[in-house]
Amino acid sequence: MTKELEHKFISEFQKHQNIIHKVCRIYTNNQEAHNDLFQEITIQLWKAYPKFRGDSKLTTWMYRIGLNTAITLYRKSKRSIQTQDFDTVLHKIESTKYDDTEEEQLKLMYKAIHQLSDIDKALIFLYLEDKSYKEISDTIGISEVNARVKMNRIKTRLRTILNP
Amino acid sequence: MDELDLLKKDWKKQESSYPKLSYNEIYKIVHKKSSSIVKWIFIICIAEFLFWGFINLLIPESFFDIYEKLHLMSFLKISYILHYVVVVVFIYLFYKNYNSICVIDSTSLLMKKIIKTRKTVNYYVYYNIIMTVILSIIVNIIMFSDSVLLNEVINPKHLDIDENRLIYIMLIAQIIGLLIMIGLLWLYYKLIYGILLRKLNKNYKELETLEV
Repeated sequence: MTKELEHKFISEFQKHQNIIHKVCRIYTNNQEAHNDLFQEITIQLWKAYPKFRGDSKLTTWMYRIGLNTAITLYRKSKRSIQTQDFDTVLHKIESTKYDDTEEEQLKLMYKAIHQLSDIDKALIFLYLEDKSYKEISDTIGISEVNARVKMNRIKTRLRTILNP
Repeated sequence: MDELDLLKKDWKKQESSYPKLSYNEIYKIVHKKSSSIVKWIFIICIAEFLFWGFINLLIPESFFDIYEKLHLMSFLKISYILHYVVVVVFIYLFYKNYNSICVIDSTSLLMKKIIKTRKTVNYYVYYNIIMTVILSIIVNIIMFSDSVLLNEVINPKHLDIDENRLIYIMLIAQIIGLLIMIGLLWLYYKLIYGILLRKLNKNYKELETLEV
């Protein structure tokens, strides 16, 4: 029974694993941290899977558990070795030559996102994933109005970073 | 084009660039151990229950002689029974709160439940400290109100020593003991909250201020 469940979980998870990679992309900025968070989210998903009844979509579950793990449950592992983080790499490129291309803007955007608070990261992530305000407010547990207000603030903040 | 639309477009473009883990790689991860804060909180809470449980058992036999002399045995027995009833209630509450922690809840509800579980154990620790202090105050009051009895207790062999000094030393020793206990607890909580719960408390506060 457990073997069967495990097989079902791994097969389904494999199909949708991109969701978790995307959560890790928002919350971590180097490969090692990415793998570490990915591992913890996968374990949490597997632990919760026996309770999954299929009345909601599995992907909805994955968004929730992914974000909950990143924001609340996950503790950075101490064994992390200093690796060069994504942002520093981007920053170096950005400072050596400045031109107003789309690429430069994107680099600055991602860098700005990594500086947001954990909650703000969740909001921007769900926005990038085209989730409705209803779903955003349900996932985070705030009212829809507050989700809108907060989202607008984050958007303005990101825009001013690009156009100071 | 708006900067955010640009970002969204790029985000979608990246979709194909993420690693694709194989069945076997995922299988390996599934069999690894979690290191989530909920797991750590559980371990620490159990350790706290055991610690305060054992501390009561560690009271040396000679203490009971003192209580006997002070005619406090029945008082002590009743407070022990009450104490264990309270402990059982605490363990039940902890178990109930811990069980309610559900990773599919909304972020704010999940945080609320974790904080509630942690608080149950905090109250348990406060209860133990308060009980220890109250009991020692009661015992002290009874002892100091009867000087004959006091001498009997602190100097049972009637050795030739200055009894006033002995009382003084005993008081100082009690105060030092209390200070060490408070110091250790303070350090312990700094560690628990500093390392384990700082992130959670910060994020929870952010959500709370949002909802006001």
